[in-house]
Amino acid sequence: MSYFMGIDVGSRTTKGVIAYGSRAKTFHTIFSSNNYREAAEKIREGLLSRARLQAADIAYTAVTGQQLDNLSFPFHKASDTRCCARGVNSLFPEARTVIDVQGQSTQIIRVDEKGKVVNFVVSERCAAGSGRFLEIIANVLRINLEDIGPLSLKSQNPVAFTTSCAVFGESEAISRVAEGTPKEDILAGVHRALAQKISTLIDRVGFEARCAISGGGGLDMGLIKAIEQELGLELLIPQKPELVSALGAAIVAQESKP
Amino acid sequence: MTWYFAGVDIGSTMTKVVIMSDGGDICSQVIGPTGAEHRRLANRVMQEALDRAKLSFPEISYVVATGYGRLNVPFADSEITELTCHAKGVASLFPEVKTAIDIGGQDAKGLKIKSGKLIDFVMNNKCAAGTGRFLEVTAATLGLRLEDLGTISAKSTHRVKISSTCTIFAQQEIVSRLSEGVAVEDVVAGLHDAIAVRVVGMTRRLKIEPVVVLTGGVAKNTGVVKAVREKIEHEVFVPPNPLLSGAIGGAILGRDIVLGALKEGKPIPKKERALEEVTFFN
Repeated sequence: MSYFMGIDVGSRTTKGVIAYGSRAKTFHTIFSSNNYREAAEKIREGLLSRARLQAADIAYTAVTGQQLDNLSFPFHKASDTRCCARGVNSLFPEARTVIDVQGQSTQIIRVDEKGKVVNFVVSERCAAGSGRFLEIIANVLRINLEDIGPLSLKSQNPVAFTTSCAVFGESEAISRVAEGTPKEDILAGVHRALAQKISTLIDRVGFEARCAISGGGGLDMGLIKAIEQELGLELLIPQKPELVSALGAAIVAQESKP
Repeated sequence: MTWYFAGVDIGSTMTKVVIMSDGGDICSQVIGPTGAEHRRLANRVMQEALDRAKLSFPEISYVVATGYGRLNVPFADSEITELTCHAKGVASLFPEVKTAIDIGGQDAKGLKIKSGKLIDFVMNNKCAAGTGRFLEVTAATLGLRLEDLGTISAKSTHRVKISSTCTIFAQQEIVSRLSEGVAVEDVVAGLHDAIAVRVVGMTRRLKIEPVVVLTGGVAKNTGVVKAVREKIEHEVFVPPNPLLSGAIGGAILGRDIVLGALKEGKPIPKKERALEEVTFFN
């Protein structure tokens, strides 16, 4: 068996995994810093040095996330959906529905027992359906992204947002802050709004148990709780949800090696 | 004796007051901020309109409140929806109007008008894209003043295509375009095109027929007017003060109510009113 590399170039961070079979051997995350090509090159170097491997040790690489061409190494361009499905399947073979919440988009994927995509829907045209909405509100509340989840869990009275637009939602959050509403209630309100959006997306592709979460959204316990309440189920949560697509890309690299 | 009527249009961003005589002459018109948190400034705009017309509040025979903040206006005799007031106001300015598009600070409406009456409408108040807010957010990103956008876009030679619908994503997109060295005027022209695509696309659900009139604060932006004209392929008329059509319509509807009551010998349906702050905003 040889090593395969998966790279997931996201809008905010770039994630990489070196896999041996379907198991992650090494992983690494860096900021994309708006230069996606450079991020892809840097993550590769970082992964190789962490794994103490040479470029020649990597049998093949798949790159997903941002659409890139002309990298310095041979690679397969893989779709977000396929990578995410394979990644989740390798961790949770029992998962049939995946909620993938990323920085700028959310996708719901129906997968079969082999990790093949049965059906999917992507919401990428509206910031209110993605992690971006949370980023905007966290900025209004002046809190760090990683504090969103723990704070939201403390909420007793989630705020009801009357809008489903991130721009209008930002104004609403500012008004609530001015009225003295606790931060945790505002955050829990955003989580609830996102969970409702996710629920309507699921209605479009259908649902089959069990359901897993992936992407950066899977790091947010407040969002997870809101989704579980909205859907009335318990989610399968990977240890490192943000790396699922990169792991999946490494698996796709094995499948697509020329 | 002259009778006076006032239309008060409390929008999300601006409050507009028009005082009109029974002869249909506009005695004063004032546009002022609605006020950020509690929308408490509407009464001041009303007071200023009274001052300019050299009238006192009790001299106004009837006050119609309209717009987003029309509910619970302590100085109004009645509340009429902004759609009805807009249709009335636009038809008074352009009697042949069949399609009216109003792009406000936080919403956009398409109105179908027949013989001066509203017969159908479409509206977006769910998404910032396609409203004045889109330009507000993106102008801030570009470091430009809203009122300068029209003049700036007039210089554009290679309009950029803004592919994001969402205001937030468009904001990111324009930052990328600028970093690629695209000229600011080409980006601004692209933004005007984007808002026109969105609003005209929405209005097409009504089947756009001339005469077409564009109103609302965004109609003051000549770049947007030009872009809307391109999409519609008809002449697009803009009133001299495109923000006032709702308030004008409100004043006219107030006059109709009073004159109607007088004609039938009924009492004028006035309310106990006082020129106080609009404290509760729904």
